[in-house]
This record gives sequence, C-alpha cells and structure tokens, in this order.
Amino acid sequence: MDTSLDSIVLTLPFRAEYVSVGRLTTSGVASRMGFDIETIEDIKVAVAEVCNKLVEAGSKIENEYSIRFKISGNRLTIIFDCRDKALKCIFSGDDNELGISIITALMDSVEFCPDDSYLLSMSKTVERNF
Amino acid sequence: MSAGLIIREEVMNDSVRVHLSGEVDIYTSQELKNRLYEIIDTRKADIILECSELNYIDSTGLGIFVGSLKKAKQYGKKISIVNLKDNIKKLFIITGLDKVFIIE
Repeated sequence: MDTSLDSIVLTLPFRAEYVSVGRLTTSGVASRMGFDIETIEDIKVAVAEVCNKLVEAGSKIENEYSIRFKISGNRLTIIFDCRDKALKCIFSGDDNELGISIITALMDSVEFCPDDSYLLSMSKTVERNF
Repeated sequence: MSAGLIIREEVMNDSVRVHLSGEVDIYTSQELKNRLYEIIDTRKADIILECSELNYIDSTGLGIFVGSLKKAKQYGKKISIVNLKDNIKKLFIITGLDKVFIIE
C-alpha cells in the first residue's frame, strides 16, 4: 500500500469570484488521485460550499484562507484554514442547512468544529474495484 | 473567473420559460436572484426553469430557487424545474428540495 503523503496548498482571497478557482483545483487533485467523475463533482461541490461560507464569514477580514489537499494513499483529506484565528467553527449556529446537508452527504467524513489548529476538515476515499 | 451564467426569458401563452445556462455559484447568484425576482414580479405567471444547460449550482443558488418559489406563491403561481442534469438533481434529493419543487 502506498503510504506516502503529498500535500497541495491553495491560498485564496475572501472573494466570491475566486471560489471557482477552488473548485477547479479540487477537480485537478481529485482527478489525479483516480476518483470517478461523479465523485470528483461531489468533492468539488463540498469544497465550494465551505468556500462560500468562508467568503461570507471572512468578508471583513483582510487575510486569505487556505485549502490544503492531503493525499495519503487513496484517501484525500481537505483542510481549510485561515491565519485570523478570530474565525472559527464557521458553521456553528448556522442557518445554512442546505450547505451543511450537502457537505455531510457528499463527503465520507467532516469535522465542522475541530480544534484551534484549523477551521474545517473533510475527507473522501477512492473506491477501487479489483 | 467564473464560467458565468446566461439567463434567457421566453414568454409563453400562460407561463414564462427561463433558460439557465452555465453555473450558479456565489459569484453569479445575485444576478440570478435579480432576474428571477424581476420576472416573477412583472410577469405574474407560472415559471418553468429550463436547466438542460445548467452545469453547476450550489446552496446559494438553491436558496434563490426557494426564495423565488415563495415569491411566486404570493401571486398564486408555481415554479417547475425541467431537464435537470443528474449531478444537480442529486443536490435537490440530498436537500429534500425534490419534494418542494415540481421537477420534470
């Protein structure tokens, strides 16, 4: 089993017009890992929902946010973070039930309110048919 | 930056067919909201959302569909959604909106 750990980091401004860049990058990483087209679409949608929330929450913050794609074997973990630690637990007490439903349904696991080291983490594993 | 959204209005005898082409995301959703609300307010007719060329939608777009439905109901009108692609229909099912809208 391949246990290597590759990491790709994308940094984006808190602006709506750059969410599509997050989607495109997600597509490239997921495609490289061998996810099927339908699952790539699912991951893209989940990433965009988090980006949307970050753009809304961070509109008054000058810093950027980052999306880290960690590839470990056939598992993709996507970690969202921001240097401004005033921003935390972004979906807490949120009325965006549509976004939460979508993210939860499309990813294998999601940490909505992790510890202080990052904002949100979610993962998906490539299904391999042998 | 975004692939963009094209909205085309086609007035029928007893309804308005709104053709959506491209992507509805956080960047294009305000444009969709403005156009749909304007069409509902001015036409006061049933709305058919033609989505055969709609490639992507997120929760902001779905929220605008819901808001539009509420607005249409104020005039006693309905909104139906036709020709959804599978990836988008999946989001309607996940969020339960397939039971809220008429989807054909």
